[in-house]
Amino acid sequence: MNTSHHRWLLEQLPKWESEGLLTTDAARTLRERHAVDASQPGAAQIIMGSLGALLIGTGLITIIGFNWDDFSRPVRLVFAFLPLLLSQLFSLRVMLRGDATAAWVRETAALLQALCTGACIALVSQIYNLGGEWPDFLFWWCLLSLPLVWVMKSSSVAIFYLIGIAEWSIHQVWGHQPWHASPMIYPLLLLGLFPFWPGWKLDRPLSITLRWVMTISAICGLCAAAHHATRMHFAESWGHFEVTLWQWVLTSAMLALFPLSSSALDATSRHKPQVILGFLHLLQFGVVATFLDMGQELAKAVREAWQVPWTWVLIAVIAAFAVHAIFRRRWAVLSVASIAITPVLALVMGETAQAVLPWLMTLHLSLIGITLIVLEFTGRRGAPRLGAALLCVLIIARMFESELSLLTKGLAFIVIGVAFLAFNICMSRLARQKQLPQS
Amino acid sequence: MKALPLVIFAIVALAQWAAPLSQIWTHEQTLTQGTLIKLKCSAPDPYDPLRGRYLAVRPEQREASVPAGLKLESGTRVYATLTSGADGLATISSLSLTPPTSGDYIRVNVGYAYESKATIEWPFERFYINEKLAPEADEWFAENIRTSKGIIAEVRVLNGRAVLADLSLDGRSFREILKERVK
Repeated sequence: MNTSHHRWLLEQLPKWESEGLLTTDAARTLRERHAVDASQPGAAQIIMGSLGALLIGTGLITIIGFNWDDFSRPVRLVFAFLPLLLSQLFSLRVMLRGDATAAWVRETAALLQALCTGACIALVSQIYNLGGEWPDFLFWWCLLSLPLVWVMKSSSVAIFYLIGIAEWSIHQVWGHQPWHASPMIYPLLLLGLFPFWPGWKLDRPLSITLRWVMTISAICGLCAAAHHATRMHFAESWGHFEVTLWQWVLTSAMLALFPLSSSALDATSRHKPQVILGFLHLLQFGVVATFLDMGQELAKAVREAWQVPWTWVLIAVIAAFAVHAIFRRRWAVLSVASIAITPVLALVMGETAQAVLPWLMTLHLSLIGITLIVLEFTGRRGAPRLGAALLCVLIIARMFESELSLLTKGLAFIVIGVAFLAFNICMSRLARQKQLPQS
Repeated sequence: MKALPLVIFAIVALAQWAAPLSQIWTHEQTLTQGTLIKLKCSAPDPYDPLRGRYLAVRPEQREASVPAGLKLESGTRVYATLTSGADGLATISSLSLTPPTSGDYIRVNVGYAYESKATIEWPFERFYINEKLAPEADEWFAENIRTSKGIIAEVRVLNGRAVLADLSLDGRSFREILKERVK
């Protein structure tokens, strides 16, 4: 249940009490169990507050863009610093008032200050005709805004920071960047958000929006780091993009296996975007790797990837996360994440690896599909529909690759479709039967 | 209210001021105490979404000779000694890895080096202009950029740092000329 569900339930309680549906004690228990933390802003409040701050900030930047060259330099510098000063005073007032300030006001103050910082730097560089590139400006803007996330507990500035560091990392892939100005430092930049959650237990829960933005930012940043590491290792020579592609698959496995607490494991899928996006990429890679043409490219990529230190970093992190996942009994996640390692197993076959790899991947995906279904029927955490869908996709892929007649292929597709629908109906009935005894 | 968040906030607020103020300090020093250097340049008229319209200033000289024995790679920071000719226009006369003991010089990055030459990335590239004057500036550039006199970038240079102070044509400031044309 998210905050809006809790709010809806709390709104209904007085009515249900008056209608005699609930006793006073039951209503009190529900109120305690589904209490809404008033210090946490609602999505609508954040959006409205952020939109207001964005409009003011964009307005300031646009006014700056006009370039008031009729005024002297000192006057124009006052224009640059005045909004920053006012936004800082606004933030200070919000901080001093503490809990008395509405959550959306806090968000607005923090985002406005972040935007005014960017506007001030931009105006100073305009006044002095400074050159400089967008990524450098963005980097310093993000760093100067980051502490606002900690001290003002601002989700909107956290989102701005996450988008900013992802954009910066993508820009820094190209060119001759030393490691400290390259996407390799993205993990450190991401760790910069750590003080946002007080204590080692990460007590402050993340909103769904922030989870998704963080996951997408991490994907962009880590994929940029992988690409940069490969480019630098092979001295920018062409023909190594497949190495990066496999590192991206390892990154997806790492994200899917990211350690979760017991309560996070019980949450619904949309609370775990790293698992959803990781699964999608891994399965898509797995299916593509089953095509016979892909064997040669992949085997070559994996052989070369071992030479890149970033690959070892990814493997080491995946190993650590996998051990944690075993302790947590995340069998479904472990089975899907293992797709990333299949090309390595094929290399054991030596020269025949390129021929073996597609068949090994087909076997692996089939086993995963069956495992995901069987887990559910043995009372563990499985994903039967995903398993069935995976088996269907595999059969369809093999049909496309085969030289069977169109008539045979057409009939096969119909049979698979009917079987898939029948399975879906069975699963729905099974789910309903499970719910009946409880109700 | 705990003290730590307030202390962090105070440090952040100071840092947000310090970053632009440090830029202002170094560039004011260069503008007030630096030597005036004139460079012949070429320029189109692009746009920056954050800082508005600007003229992309590109000095004509794009490469310089590399002294024998000096090995340069792409991205290396070097010191370029500037020497003014009889026409008052400056050119890069030599490159070195350490600041020269005399004369005017600026820090530049090497684009790429080949044989005994190296391409230069100048430390200034933009001259911001008023949005109203931008279309006129565009026309003015198109008319004058290929004339024999050409457009001159006036740059103040101090301790290796360069600040683009103005653009001029035939000794007259670019802004003055534009304002007359707009009237």
